[in-house]
Amino acid sequence: MTILFKPDETYRGDYTYRNSDAAILRFPFPFPEDSYMYSVNIEPHVRGGFTPVYNNPIDVDEHYIAECRDRAITLERDPGRYAALPHMMTAQWDSIELLMECLSSDYPELFSLHKDGDRWTWINRPLGIEQSFTFGKEDTLPCEPFEYITRQIQGDFAILDQRNGSLYLDAGMVTAQADWSLQFDVGMDFMEWHGPVPLAHQAGVFERALKYLLMLRQGQPMRRLNWTMTVNPRLDTSPETYPEWGPDRTTLTLDNIGRKLHLRVELQTLWRLPRSNAILFPLRGYLASLDELVRVPKWGRRLHRVLSTLPRELAEYKGLVRFLPTALEYLSTYDDGAPTTSGCAAEISSL
Amino acid sequence: MITGDQLQLRVAAIRDISPTLRLVRFENAGDGPLPPSATGAHLQVVLQGAQKEIRNAYSLISKPGSRDAYEIIVRRVPESRGGSAYIHEQLKTGDLLTTSWPGNLFAPQRSARKHIMVAGGIGITPFLSYVADFAGKGIDYELHLCCREEEKDSFAPWLPEPDKVFVHWDADGHRLDIPALLLRQPANSHLYVCGPDFLTNDVLEAAETGGWPDNHVHCERFGNALSGGEAFRAVLQRSGKEIEVGEHESLLEAIEREGVEVPCLCRGGACGVCLTSVLDGEPEHRDHYLGKAERAGGKHIMPCVSRAKSGLLVLDL
Amino acid sequence: MSLRKSIPDFRLLENSMNTTTCDAGHRSELNDRTAPPSMRSRPTYSSLSPDTAGAEHLLVIEADALQPGQASALSKSFTSVAEALRTVVSGSELPLPGANVQPDLAATLLAVKARLSGATMQQRVYAIGSEPFIWSIHTAAIDAGLDEKQIRLCHSGSLKRRVWCTHCHETTENVTTNIVACTGCGRRLLVRDHFSRRLGAFMGVQIDAEVPGDVPAIEEVFP
Repeated sequence: MTILFKPDETYRGDYTYRNSDAAILRFPFPFPEDSYMYSVNIEPHVRGGFTPVYNNPIDVDEHYIAECRDRAITLERDPGRYAALPHMMTAQWDSIELLMECLSSDYPELFSLHKDGDRWTWINRPLGIEQSFTFGKEDTLPCEPFEYITRQIQGDFAILDQRNGSLYLDAGMVTAQADWSLQFDVGMDFMEWHGPVPLAHQAGVFERALKYLLMLRQGQPMRRLNWTMTVNPRLDTSPETYPEWGPDRTTLTLDNIGRKLHLRVELQTLWRLPRSNAILFPLRGYLASLDELVRVPKWGRRLHRVLSTLPRELAEYKGLVRFLPTALEYLSTYDDGAPTTSGCAAEISSL
Repeated sequence: MITGDQLQLRVAAIRDISPTLRLVRFENAGDGPLPPSATGAHLQVVLQGAQKEIRNAYSLISKPGSRDAYEIIVRRVPESRGGSAYIHEQLKTGDLLTTSWPGNLFAPQRSARKHIMVAGGIGITPFLSYVADFAGKGIDYELHLCCREEEKDSFAPWLPEPDKVFVHWDADGHRLDIPALLLRQPANSHLYVCGPDFLTNDVLEAAETGGWPDNHVHCERFGNALSGGEAFRAVLQRSGKEIEVGEHESLLEAIEREGVEVPCLCRGGACGVCLTSVLDGEPEHRDHYLGKAERAGGKHIMPCVSRAKSGLLVLDL
Repeated sequence: MSLRKSIPDFRLLENSMNTTTCDAGHRSELNDRTAPPSMRSRPTYSSLSPDTAGAEHLLVIEADALQPGQASALSKSFTSVAEALRTVVSGSELPLPGANVQPDLAATLLAVKARLSGATMQQRVYAIGSEPFIWSIHTAAIDAGLDEKQIRLCHSGSLKRRVWCTHCHETTENVTTNIVACTGCGRRLLVRDHFSRRLGAFMGVQIDAEVPGDVPAIEEVFP
């Protein structure tokens, strides 16, 4: 399968990011039912599923080149979006091995990895990179190994170190849509970095999730989908730049909301790393505007129904309150009341 | 090889390194390189014994990250329930075996300033991968091996930095003084112990008395020797089966013999994965996982090591 | 050892995934202006007592934060470890014989670092004072290699906070109000309850980013 990259699209300024028809059809739409419900959505990260996004453990799509460029711009402005504590070097090499092997075996026309003992050569054709290095020797790469490889993959990444019966956020590459601050959270344990999640009444939830993650096994990654909404196809919605993008939330009207408001779905996967026993945590985002989503009739109907039944607490938590009524008014046009089938699949093969 | 849960391995070499210690080298019988081995990791090996299937967990001694082969060292145990005897008497080069992917319940703490390892006999095996990982990287560590005097050199080929290895045996002037060892260690040291229960318990007790925070003390216990005992019966309620658990097998092995699947990992009472609900009967807890209150409650059991006090257990399986 | 404390119930976990989200990468911190009362990153404290499992003890006191009589009460509660106890007092003299008195936080931190160089697993550190003070001592102890379990903190005196600006990453000291102007970039920051132990600081986020000038009343909430 050939991917037609869109190297010139932008995630800032004039926001020329758009999805092709094929990209809309493969969007990992996260709502399996009409009324809002939290689904039991943690599952083994195996190949295949309702969306082609699941066909490979690490997904590469038409936005690859543009997204890597946007990350480079953000890092240029704020190098602190990448951070790794000193004891994470083993996990950094674990990550480079896992990610390079995933990409080169699933996308041989785009990426190659040649190994001669510890002498490795990495070729990234879309970005025009060829790099020889010695596995395990930091000074043979232009930057730290985790930074090196995550500059070349879509989505944010964290590495969680396992100790004291908890997981510590001890390394991260966080430039995309992450409404949290790596510089503030780095080094925090699982409970500390989840501190702000306003679900105090459900005490015990994170304890159970943590126990589950502590037992994650090498070779058996897990995945779940998460979602929010973002004004403009902007990747960098960090607290650091909130003054830049916060005002966008007040600009939505019935006329422009279809173009400007995006559903942002985050595919979170969790991988046990071998040497370090740490957990690699890629958080891959997918953006689609309301205009794009309603071209799939089932998704237009469903998004209207889901947002109509969204609990107030959750709308506040996800930052949707200011524009939710406008979004519902726009979406109501695409909801004729017809029944929908359960499941997330688009159920059409062309638009 | 990026995802999966089982491996097909071929025995590539067998070598006796002492009268009671046998090294086995495995290579991939399938395609491509193996998943990377890990520091402190183990492999669950399925052996087809004459009477029954035997599953044992063995520490990988290979250099962490090894993908061409895995190596284990197995001691011949007189009271072996089959695994050790099978490997010493029947296993031969070329045999094919099913194993798990490497699992890890005993990884070193990467943020430690210093690693102190205490091994009892064959309990050195997980530390051979630690040493292979640490050696030459300027990582501060000490390995203390307590063993019989005649075995003090058996593991020398795997210990490239002899100045960091201290061997102790049961003779005046050669015993390990555990409290003294723990007294003057720098802040952010981590202590690891693997060996027979009496050694592990001594070290844990000395660490507690010596003011070590418990999250700086780590142990991996030998599970297998613990799992035998008096025979008893178990009813698997949901499967509608009643089984006999023999003197020399664990409850988990008896359940597996009947074809009932129980998720499991360490098979030594440490990881908690095989946790099973008890509907009736009184468990005899031998695990290191359940807390005091959970033990007293009697509602759960770790079938890999624990047995029955009551002669009959009814399980939610 | 760390894995054997309690029971993972996978059915419960599935229910939990059914009713909430583990939003590690997805927390709309910016919108939740009223933090929940029991935010997990918010530290809790109890009164200081010596950990007798330790063999060397370092007590660090912010003099101005103590109530009258509190110094002698502290001294009394540490009697059992008196022979192995060193005391550093920051600010002004206290009626503690043998204490090492330092004029301010910076000098106190130097004294603490010197005392902790070469610390062992038997070292214990205790700090009492305002939150910015005790967390500065905490950071020095962690940097010296101590574990959380070798450190005991007690909050006393002012509720003032150190605030870390998410926009310019500067810290603003001695904050007593719900909204404060950042000393780094001048933005008006809402002081959130989200706390970083590493920075010893609470998070500050621009209050009027969405609608400039839309700033609620400023109140003294951390006197």
